[in-house]
Amino acid sequence: MTEYVPVLLFLLVAIGFAGGTIGLSSLIVPRRRNAVKNSSYECGVEPVGDALQRFTVKFYLVAVLFILFDIEAVFLYPWAVTFRRLGLYGLIEMALFIVILFVGYVYLLRKRALEWD
Amino acid sequence: MTLALFAAFAALLVGCSLMVILHRNPVASALFLVLAFCSLAGLYLLLHAEFVAMVQVIVYAGAIMVLFLFVIMYLNLRHDVEQGIAVAVRRGAGWILGILLLAETVAFFKGRWAEGPVSAPDLAPVAGNTQAIGQVLYTRYLFPFEITSVLLLVAMVGAVVIAKGRGPGLHPAAPAADAAADAKAAAPDHAGGEA
Amino acid sequence: MMHDIPLAWMLALSATVFVIGVVGVLVRRNALVIFMSIELMLNAGNLAFVAFSRALGSLDGQVFVFFVMTVAAAEVAVGLAIIVNVFRLKETIYVDEINLLKG
Repeated sequence: MTEYVPVLLFLLVAIGFAGGTIGLSSLIVPRRRNAVKNSSYECGVEPVGDALQRFTVKFYLVAVLFILFDIEAVFLYPWAVTFRRLGLYGLIEMALFIVILFVGYVYLLRKRALEWD
Repeated sequence: MTLALFAAFAALLVGCSLMVILHRNPVASALFLVLAFCSLAGLYLLLHAEFVAMVQVIVYAGAIMVLFLFVIMYLNLRHDVEQGIAVAVRRGAGWILGILLLAETVAFFKGRWAEGPVSAPDLAPVAGNTQAIGQVLYTRYLFPFEITSVLLLVAMVGAVVIAKGRGPGLHPAAPAADAAADAKAAAPDHAGGEA
Repeated sequence: MMHDIPLAWMLALSATVFVIGVVGVLVRRNALVIFMSIELMLNAGNLAFVAFSRALGSLDGQVFVFFVMTVAAAEVAVGLAIIVNVFRLKETIYVDEINLLKG
C-alpha cells in the first residue's frame, strides 16, 4: 500500500489545486452582471438546438474497430515486458496472433469499412 | 486503511451498479457504469492485480463504454417509458427473483464460508505484475491466447457485416460510388427522423 | 505490511454485483440497459477471478480476466451492431416490442 502514497498525494494535490483555484477565484472575483455579459457569446452566433443530437452510424463502426484493436494492444503489453524471457518462442506466437488479426485488417480495407463517405 | 478503501470502493460499486439498472436515462446509466468500472479497478489494485486494474480502465471504462455511448447517441434515446401492468408485474417478479438469488448465494456461502489463506502467498517474484502475467499467459495459456485472436477476427468481420451489410465494397466490380449511395440512402431516414 | 481483505467479503461483493446484473436483465425493457447489466455480471465474475487469484497465490485467475474481457468486447461489438440493425428495422429497442419470432 505504501507504494501508492505518491499517487494519493498527486491526486490530492491535483484536486486541491483545481478546486482551490476555482473556489478562491469565485470568492474574490468582482461581480458585475449585465445582459451582454450573461449572453453565451459576446460576439458570434447563438447556439442552436440541443447537444443531444443523433450521431451517424459511421462512428459506431470506428468505435467497434477501436475496441477490437485495443484488446489486441492490451495483449501486447505483457508480451513486450516478457519478451526477453520468451525469446523466439514468444516472437512466433505473437507473430501468429498478429497475422490472424491482420487478416481482419485486410478484410476491413477490402470492405472499405474505414472510409468516411 | 485497506479496509476503509475496500468499504469505499465496494459502496461505490454497489451504488453505481444499482443506479445503472434504476436510472431511466440510458446515458446516465452508461456513465454510472463507467464509475462502477473505475471502482472495480480500485478493488483490483487492493488485490494487487495492477495490470488488470489498468486494463479495466483502458478497455472497459475507455473503449467499451465509448461504444455504448455512441450507440445511445445514434439511437437518440431519451427517458425510457416504463409503465403499464405487464411492466410493473415483470419488475416486481424480477426484483423478487433477484433477492431470492442473493439469499441463495448468501446461504451457500454461510454453509462453507470461504476463509481462504490468512496471509496470501506472495505473488510475482519477478519484476512486476505485468511481467508475471506475461509469463503465465504466453506459456501455459498459449492456445487460448491464439484462439482469442480468432475470436477478435470473427467479431471484427461480424460487426462489419452487420453494420455495413454484405453488399458493395468487397467485389472489385462494385464501384465505390455504389457504396456511397448505399450509405447515403441509409443515412437520411435515420438522421432525418430527429426527435 | 497491510493485511488482506478476507476472500469471503470479495465474494459477497461479487455476488451482490452479479445479482444486480441479473435483476437488471429481468427488469428493464431497454436492450441497451440489458447489455450494460450483462457487462455488470461479467465484471462480477472478473472480480471473483481476481479475488481467488489473490487468495490462492496463482496468476491464472488474472489471466482468465483477460479472456473474459476479450469475450466481452467481442460480444459488445456484435451485440450492439445487432441492436442498431433492430432499431433500423423496428424503430424500437424495447425487447418486449421485438417479437417477430413469436409464432
